[in-house]
Amino acid sequence: MFARISYALRETIASFRRNITLSAAAVLTSAVSLLLVGTTFLIQRAFDNLLVQWRGDVGMIVFVRPDASEEQLTFIRQTLEAQPNVIDVKKLDYLDRAASFEEAKRVFAGDRTTLSLLTVETIPSQFKVIPLTTDPALVRGLADQYRNLPGVQGVALAEDEFDVISTMSSFVRGVTITMSLILLGVAVTLIWNTIRTAMVARRNEIEVMKLVGATNWFIRVPFILEGLTQGLFGAIVSCGGLWTLNQAWTNGVAGFKTGTGVSSLVVPGSYVSGVMIILLVIGALAGGIGSGIAASKFLDV
Amino acid sequence: MIRFENVTKLYGSDVAAVREASFDIPKGEFVFLVGPSGSGKSTLLRLMNRQERPERGTVWVAGANINELADSRVPYLRRGMGNVFQDYKLLMNKTVFENVAFSLQVIGRPKHVIRQQVPQVLELVGLADKEDRFPSQLSGGEQQRVSIARAFVNRPLIMLADEPTGNLDPATGEEIMSLLDSINRTGTTVVMATHDHRVVNAMRRRVIQLDRGLVVRDQERGVYE
Repeated sequence: MFARISYALRETIASFRRNITLSAAAVLTSAVSLLLVGTTFLIQRAFDNLLVQWRGDVGMIVFVRPDASEEQLTFIRQTLEAQPNVIDVKKLDYLDRAASFEEAKRVFAGDRTTLSLLTVETIPSQFKVIPLTTDPALVRGLADQYRNLPGVQGVALAEDEFDVISTMSSFVRGVTITMSLILLGVAVTLIWNTIRTAMVARRNEIEVMKLVGATNWFIRVPFILEGLTQGLFGAIVSCGGLWTLNQAWTNGVAGFKTGTGVSSLVVPGSYVSGVMIILLVIGALAGGIGSGIAASKFLDV
Repeated sequence: MIRFENVTKLYGSDVAAVREASFDIPKGEFVFLVGPSGSGKSTLLRLMNRQERPERGTVWVAGANINELADSRVPYLRRGMGNVFQDYKLLMNKTVFENVAFSLQVIGRPKHVIRQQVPQVLELVGLADKEDRFPSQLSGGEQQRVSIARAFVNRPLIMLADEPTGNLDPATGEEIMSLLDSINRTGTTVVMATHDHRVVNAMRRRVIQLDRGLVVRDQERGVYE
């Protein structure tokens, strides 16, 4: 048994060296594809962070019509303040039309068309509400209740903003997963081709092995190990890349102002370590599967 | 030891390499397969070691119907056979010792067995002093001796030789035949495909002659016609 294991390992190393150029190409392709897989995990985690933070601080804005009377405005305020068990009355904030216009200038800084339609006279004033409940359904119920008050133009929910982020998250996830799968397919194909080339180059040796009574598994194992090693080396390189990328991102995010929400996009090192283990497993599997298929298919060289 | 019963081997749907071949080769016999190129000699050898399977008929080796042998058992069948080729099929990046040791290595023989058996067989074929040479440093006759050593190191019951003297001059060919003869005298059954008249006529062993896949002659102590 020891002789067989020793033979398989020796042959694996020798074959890896013999096909160094192709092996390096297979390792690099695996590394790039696995780096993208790892990045997908991190992006997803970053979006999750953002969503979690917003959900923990659910907000609602009650817009008041510009032509609402003082009585209507007072009634709306009193209605909101009359529910201290449901909303955080202490943090209830009112922005008059001038303040709302100033805020709009910032919100729509990149949207000049919308901004040009707004004036201090036409813009609604607004109450910034922080509900005490974290139940999105209950918050939506509150919004429906406020929407029917006289003088209220409309109610915006942070929940609706989540939909935008969720949509963006799904889109980015879809694109990165698709690209990862395509690149993983390319890596498996390249490993498959590397092993096929190695087997064709050693066809005489394989023929002799078969004629002297070597089993198919004895012949296959060094080739499968070679592919598995290529996938694993690619995964190790991708882990290094992922760690570096995450460190650079973390350092970059530190430069943003607090409260912008960008800080939520930082992914902790412990999570990155978990992703790296997954990448090592995927790399080894991709290499093993690619080479296993080739070693079975081209055994009759 | 080897029995063919109405064996037909087709290449494609209608080209018959072997047609209705039937014969028995007892243990310890030396048999020549003769006939022109394309007559089916090599195909018969390939049917014996299960490199090919017949479309019809049965091939028995050492009491087993090898047509019905599971693929996973074929390596174990081949461990009881040695194969010698016209082009030697040596591994050029391995030394003489490593080439011979290779056939023991791949069937999982431990190192101490390899260290013991390889020098013995190299002594038998007269290459004990050249075990560190590479095949490119040897003559054609010496390379064929290495090939025979590799085939015999596992002490097979059957030796299959496909034109082993085909690339050699007459004198070297005689040396190789002498070696195969001495291996046969140890009890190993030898089946050799050849179209070398001199060898067949000099040895006067059993001759099975083929013509376009048909066995046209099966003669004890025969000559090449």
